[in-house]
Amino acid sequence: MHHNPIHIQQLSYAYPDGTEALREIDLAIAPSERVALVGANGSGKSTLLLHLNGILLPQVGEIVVGEQTVTPENLKDIRNFVGVVFQNPDDQLFMPTVWEDVTFGPMNQGVRGSELERRACVAMQSVGLEPHHYGPRSPGNLSGGEKKRVAIAGVLAMQPQVLVLDEPTAQLDPRSRRQLINLLRSLPITQVIATHDLDLAVELCSRTVVLSQGQIVFNGVTERVMANGAFLEDHALESPLCYSRPYCLLDHRPSEHLSPNLLNLML
Amino acid sequence: MLLHIGVVRLDVDGHKVSPWHRLVPRTRVLCAGLVVFAIALTPNGRWLTWAVYAVALLSLVLLSRVTLPVLLRRLAVEMLFLGVVVLGALFRPGEDVLWQWGWLRVTSEGLMVLGSVALKGMLSLLMLNLLVITTSVPALLQALRELRMPALLVAILASMSRYIGVLLEEVTAMQRAAQSRNLMSHRRWQRLVIGNMIGALFLRTYDRGDRIHRAMLSRGYTGLIPVPNLPIPTRLDVVALTLMAVLLLLGQAIYLV
Repeated sequence: MHHNPIHIQQLSYAYPDGTEALREIDLAIAPSERVALVGANGSGKSTLLLHLNGILLPQVGEIVVGEQTVTPENLKDIRNFVGVVFQNPDDQLFMPTVWEDVTFGPMNQGVRGSELERRACVAMQSVGLEPHHYGPRSPGNLSGGEKKRVAIAGVLAMQPQVLVLDEPTAQLDPRSRRQLINLLRSLPITQVIATHDLDLAVELCSRTVVLSQGQIVFNGVTERVMANGAFLEDHALESPLCYSRPYCLLDHRPSEHLSPNLLNLML
Repeated sequence: MLLHIGVVRLDVDGHKVSPWHRLVPRTRVLCAGLVVFAIALTPNGRWLTWAVYAVALLSLVLLSRVTLPVLLRRLAVEMLFLGVVVLGALFRPGEDVLWQWGWLRVTSEGLMVLGSVALKGMLSLLMLNLLVITTSVPALLQALRELRMPALLVAILASMSRYIGVLLEEVTAMQRAAQSRNLMSHRRWQRLVIGNMIGALFLRTYDRGDRIHRAMLSRGYTGLIPVPNLPIPTRLDVVALTLMAVLLLLGQAIYLV
């Protein structure tokens, strides 16, 4: 295992029309760490993620993934090292059947035969999909949660060292979201999760990076930033529900401070 | 509208058991291709050849145990389109006039061409429908790839079959959104909005294509879809192809002797 699977130094990026998307980003991610990347719409999260596996190449600065700098010559190894799960599974699942889609990545790596089958089966089982039942189905006919899991399986089948997820819980119902959180918690690899779902960040990630207008404005312990409502609001975010409404449930109320009348009123 | 395509299953009889189903998809595609070529290349008016082919096709339909109502319904819909296209052949100029009304003339030659073309079309459609009803789209695409169709072309067909449902969903969503704001009030306005929708759909499709390509790149795509292990043809495949070729030649030979 590498001591820092991802190391970003002084990364800046501007879109062709001149809009600055990222400014002087410095970021290191430790092995087996789960890092939340949060920020408002247009804060540069997706642009940063696209740099992690070389879909966008650094204009200024340097990214080291594993032991390799992100340059056009190293792209193949880098993409095997960093797996990206995109926000909309319909964009990612393009093969006619689930099985073909899950095997797409490993086949590009040159894996064939029984090893290919084993990898695809392990990947599908680890996201809770039964390979023989789901394999021949068309991705178009799956539910949102199932599509998301197939998309993750397709990336896991490549056996990456780092898993990058863009808005993993967007468009998922509560149960699928819960299943996804449990799944991510059970995966032992390094994860970078870009999300607006701050409750997910609190549950899963020990460290949070806040991006605002292309810059890192906070990089540290998740609990510390989530407790700071004013800071979050300054950057177009909001304290997660579990912080902003600590007594939503009656069981959690500090009962000795409430008068019986008030309690009756609430019930 | 074509809004039902996403939910229609093309290969309704894909899982039946029959000698036809035991052929590997490549052989089925090859057989269908041979039949269609033979039918189409037969000169007009050779009714006996087509009679031989029709008998062969009908026995194949029975042998493959497809659901007849589905096959006939699809054939009927497709024949409607074909009928409109070939109707023009009826009014060809010719010597032997059978019927005349003003400048409209039906000649025996026109009738012969119309009948030949319609029959050719119907027999070819019968074969192709049989193929599509019994073979899943992924298997068909795989077969085309095995038959050395350019990989990029197969990839385009594959993404078309994958994304047509997604696109139709987007069209429906846009239509509903427009209707919810009372689009249907004014004819001219309606045409304008539909034009804008088509434009929006084009841009979205373009963007989506870009996102899909990025997702493909991040899983190591290098420009060619990798080929999985192929199903191995058996003796049955060789026999079926030989039989088919002999039959096709036999049909042509009728007019040689």
